[in-house]
Amino acid sequence: VQRLLGEKTAARRLARAAGVPVAEGTEPLRDAAAARAAAKEIGYPVVLKPAGGGGGKGMRVVGRDEEFEAAWRAATGEASAAFGAPALYLERLITSARHIEMQILADAQGNVVWLGERDCSIQRRHQKLIEESPGPSVGEGLRAELGAAAVRLAERAGYVNAGTVEFLVDPNGDFNFLEVNTRLQVEHPVTEMVTGLDLVALQLRIAAGEGLPFTQDQITRSGAAIECRITAEDPMTGFVPASGRVALVREPAGPGIRVDSALFSGMTVPSEYDSLLAKVIAHGRDREEAISRMRRALAEMRVSGIPTSLAFHRAALYEQDFVAGRYDTDFVSRWDPQKMPDLSDGVAGAAALAAVLAVRAHGERRAVPVADPTWARAGREDALR
Amino acid sequence: MRYEVTLDDRRVRVELGEDGRFTVDDRVVAADVRETARGRQWSIILESESHEITVVTHEPLRLDVDGRDVRAAVIDERALRAGRGAVGLRTARVELRAPMPGLLKAVHVQEGDRVDADAPLATLEAMKMENELLAPSAGRIAKVRATAGTKVEAGVVLIVIASD
Repeated sequence: VQRLLGEKTAARRLARAAGVPVAEGTEPLRDAAAARAAAKEIGYPVVLKPAGGGGGKGMRVVGRDEEFEAAWRAATGEASAAFGAPALYLERLITSARHIEMQILADAQGNVVWLGERDCSIQRRHQKLIEESPGPSVGEGLRAELGAAAVRLAERAGYVNAGTVEFLVDPNGDFNFLEVNTRLQVEHPVTEMVTGLDLVALQLRIAAGEGLPFTQDQITRSGAAIECRITAEDPMTGFVPASGRVALVREPAGPGIRVDSALFSGMTVPSEYDSLLAKVIAHGRDREEAISRMRRALAEMRVSGIPTSLAFHRAALYEQDFVAGRYDTDFVSRWDPQKMPDLSDGVAGAAALAAVLAVRAHGERRAVPVADPTWARAGREDALR
Repeated sequence: MRYEVTLDDRRVRVELGEDGRFTVDDRVVAADVRETARGRQWSIILESESHEITVVTHEPLRLDVDGRDVRAAVIDERALRAGRGAVGLRTARVELRAPMPGLLKAVHVQEGDRVDADAPLATLEAMKMENELLAPSAGRIAKVRATAGTKVEAGVVLIVIASD
């Protein structure tokens, strides 16, 4: 079942059979020529996706026919590197869409329930940065429709586990099936906070063959939750991943705040793995309270030593479009990193003093010739520790 | 020693007196400065208001000021006299360094090219992704030090821009 849903084009066939709307697209493609012909037929812009992929890696948007060859080469290479499978397929690109996903649970007895949606539209490179539930644009009607579609799909596949069915919802509220994540996702805490359920425990119970301890009617959702994925990336330079040593960490706490984190002072963030460092989740009685708690939590958090996405998250939580719940998958590309809040005189004075002290402290530590061989520099740095 | 500090778009003059007094924009201020993490974090009480400033990164200099992100650059009086640029942001020569080790897939510019800020200069494959490295500032490409297809270490200079 996992293979059936994990291979994207098979999952698309299954969704269609289950009566779930699917965006126009292709089966796995043989070569660049066949793909290019298919792209012409569907009409640009299209998106190339790895058939064996997930997590947005290896996806390429192609706007024009002339860009096709280069995009095909890059996407094939990335798909091979990330998933060991170069197979690609094509889909029509849906613009100004929201990425809405539905959490489901399915036990071995054939019971399938939906727990509610998450809006994960705030992404860069097709990877999520902020998720929230309920989706600010999702009404009761759409929620029930998405829930029912996700359950139909899981039943059709004979799925058993916690899982997520992802959809793209266009500005008219029409939705298309995207893919199924046959696992517990990074953003599952958002749903845990809203439903009060422990998804990890439920997943284990399902795996042990136990039936779900509740029915669809017994699931309640209360308030709103937001998750910010703090990553080792520099939002000021287009979210380029950063690696290095974390010198200092302080994590937020307080009412309604949960932090799932791998951060500690002195850790080295390597460049070989995913850049996710920590997840900050805020829950409130309503969206407004969740936002205000998240702002406070992000302002409390400190990470020193490497750039992180914290600067983006702090700014995003004050963006008009975010506050109003009016955003889509283009939110990050429209965000202007140059736009920063004005500082009061007192804050600017203190910041200026600290800037001078920081440069002096750094200059003293760095007053060694840079042209030294690596071994000598490593030795000297060790001695300074 | 006198300094000129740029915080995002704002300029502040700072003087650290021999007697331990601080001057901000030519005004002597009552400041209690405590280093709470060596070379990384300071707790500063300025005119009876308490602030916490953390260095996010030294190069470029990024500060966390009471939970807000601020880009900073510092010029000392010697550099001011010599007419040189700031330590950090506004040097005349801006270096694009590899932010992480990886495989340099492509270099999109040649020496002599003019580029805008944020123009893609090179593609670096790392963390299983292709990352576009963007121009830190507008200017002319003074030097291309890296070749496409080679592996690069973190921190090596790839491209030098003579900034406007």
